[in-house]
Amino acid sequence: MSVASEPQESPSGSTGARPGAVGFLTDVSLCIGCKACEVACKQWNQLPADGSVAGSGLTGFSYDNTGDLGATTWRHVAFVEQAPAPTGDLLAGLLGSAPTQMAWLMLSDVCKHCVNAPCLDACPTGAIIRTRFDTVVIQDDVCNGCGYCVPACPFGVPQLGEGDRGAHKCTLCYDRLVDGMEPACAKACPTDSIQFGPISELMPRAVERVTELQNRGVEQAHIYGDRAWGGTGGINGLNAFFVLTAPPETYNLPASPQRPSDQVLPAFLTTAAAALGLGLAAVAALRGR
Amino acid sequence: MNTFARRWEPDRRGRRAAATGALAAQRGRTSADEARGSYYGVPVIHRAHWHWLIILYFFLGGITGACYVIASIAHLVGPSEDRRLVRAGRYLSFVALVPSPALLILDLGRPGRFYKMLRVVKLRSPMSVGTWGLTVFGGFSALSALVQAAEDGILGRGLRARAVGRWPSKIIGIAGMPWGLFVAGYTGVLLGATAVPLWAKNALLLGPLFLASAFSTAASAIGLALSAAQGTEPATLERLERLERLTIGAELGLLAASRARLSATAAPVTTGTPGALLRYGTVGSGLLVPLGLHAVARLTSEKTGRRLGMLSSVLVLVGGFLLRYVTVVGGHASADDPRATFDYARQEQSGTPA
Repeated sequence: MSVASEPQESPSGSTGARPGAVGFLTDVSLCIGCKACEVACKQWNQLPADGSVAGSGLTGFSYDNTGDLGATTWRHVAFVEQAPAPTGDLLAGLLGSAPTQMAWLMLSDVCKHCVNAPCLDACPTGAIIRTRFDTVVIQDDVCNGCGYCVPACPFGVPQLGEGDRGAHKCTLCYDRLVDGMEPACAKACPTDSIQFGPISELMPRAVERVTELQNRGVEQAHIYGDRAWGGTGGINGLNAFFVLTAPPETYNLPASPQRPSDQVLPAFLTTAAAALGLGLAAVAALRGR
Repeated sequence: MNTFARRWEPDRRGRRAAATGALAAQRGRTSADEARGSYYGVPVIHRAHWHWLIILYFFLGGITGACYVIASIAHLVGPSEDRRLVRAGRYLSFVALVPSPALLILDLGRPGRFYKMLRVVKLRSPMSVGTWGLTVFGGFSALSALVQAAEDGILGRGLRARAVGRWPSKIIGIAGMPWGLFVAGYTGVLLGATAVPLWAKNALLLGPLFLASAFSTAASAIGLALSAAQGTEPATLERLERLERLTIGAELGLLAASRARLSATAAPVTTGTPGALLRYGTVGSGLLVPLGLHAVARLTSEKTGRRLGMLSSVLVLVGGFLLRYVTVVGGHASADDPRATFDYARQEQSGTPA
């Protein structure tokens, strides 16, 4: 598929976050790819290193050495090397009027702490809960490792641990929040690419930032995680949202995923209709003469 | 312990653990090329861990539910000589039921905590309602099998056994029927309520498809048991085969509708080994060949016809199992394909009014 690269409209900044919600604003235009957030997360949450070569290998396609969010990687810094799209205009290229430099895009990905979280919808044990901070946390002592939250998440966040077979993901440092501290990753971020705070403060800041970026000529700057992108449909907003400067797909984010559990009722209705039809077929076939 | 499998990476022999088409080693491509259109082909979503245990459960769950429904309907509307059919349906339902909870519990990452599912009811989670549905249906299936066993004298001729044999099995059957239909069909809804493009895009048809397949496999299982036993009335088998044909027709229609609905998203189940299994195993030998065998059986002697009927029943059962297998492994391939995920998210956006 070709990633759409239409310039964004003015930032919307609309979210369904509940009053008192806290979250992350992750601004890719400020990220320098230092991975301090990854390290701080692993240290605070006591997560093992991962990677192909004794926990230190790069993935082979960039400076990314974790590749993906997973059971033991709750912050993941994506590295995108972006070559300018070939314009075919040789003269413009020679005269320097077409961009020729490679661009580095870096994004610290994290659990989105959805306003209506698909993993929470799917969890059959009640292990996944919404906290008083409007964040989404998996209670490890309740999780029975059914694994249904794993394919339910449209962002590919929760994963079953290799060792303990329970589902794990970012807790937005719940244990730090209750003690009035900000999450480890936001604390460690040296450029304030990751900002922590109440959504009511972060969202206006994101709108302001996007406007500024657009005015400076970064036409594609937009908010991912408001009701226009990412947190669309039934998901209704992401409490960990992003300022992106390229289409979401560039950072491995789906453009506008829907809430999977919205399909449950319609699907049960069609199944019930099929049940009626097949039941009548059985009556017709098995009826005695 | 520290072996975190990363499916998009080449293993030591340079093969990719999963098909991430965009990444297929292409010489002369730069990182920037690979990052165009997706993030180096890394899957956007995580695939489910489900495999044989769950595939077998999807198959048995269909049979236990649909056998119960067929037996109950035959008891209500069928002639008295079809009591053998009712009996076979009730016993088969119970036999297919018994391993089901065990398969589900063994599949859990932490099997000792299965009971945690029985502490909450969540209507938005098909896994939660499915657990409850299976629990309630298990009671009905076991109860009907018990009454049948008492009627058949398997429980002895004691007073208690005779009392059980007089329980109103028709009413139990009517009450249990909705639960049987639920167990036979909810697994399709469960797959549909995920972010996996192959399943989610077809969410409205997966439940009906699994249900139709449950009916055809259950009718075949009962038919196989009755044909193997001596002294079954040909008319009884004829009625069962009529049901088989109707449900096979429904299944074919639903498969065609699913194919149309999925269009390019169907690639994981139309190409490669899963594609061949679905095309030849399920549609060909599992549905079309049995229809042909039914037609041929009418032209032959009763004995040959019965053998052809048994063959077609076996083929339908194998095809039904393959349908579950292909759906599950196809879903894994679909989850691993970032382009399928991106396309699904974009299409849903443009498909729904803002």
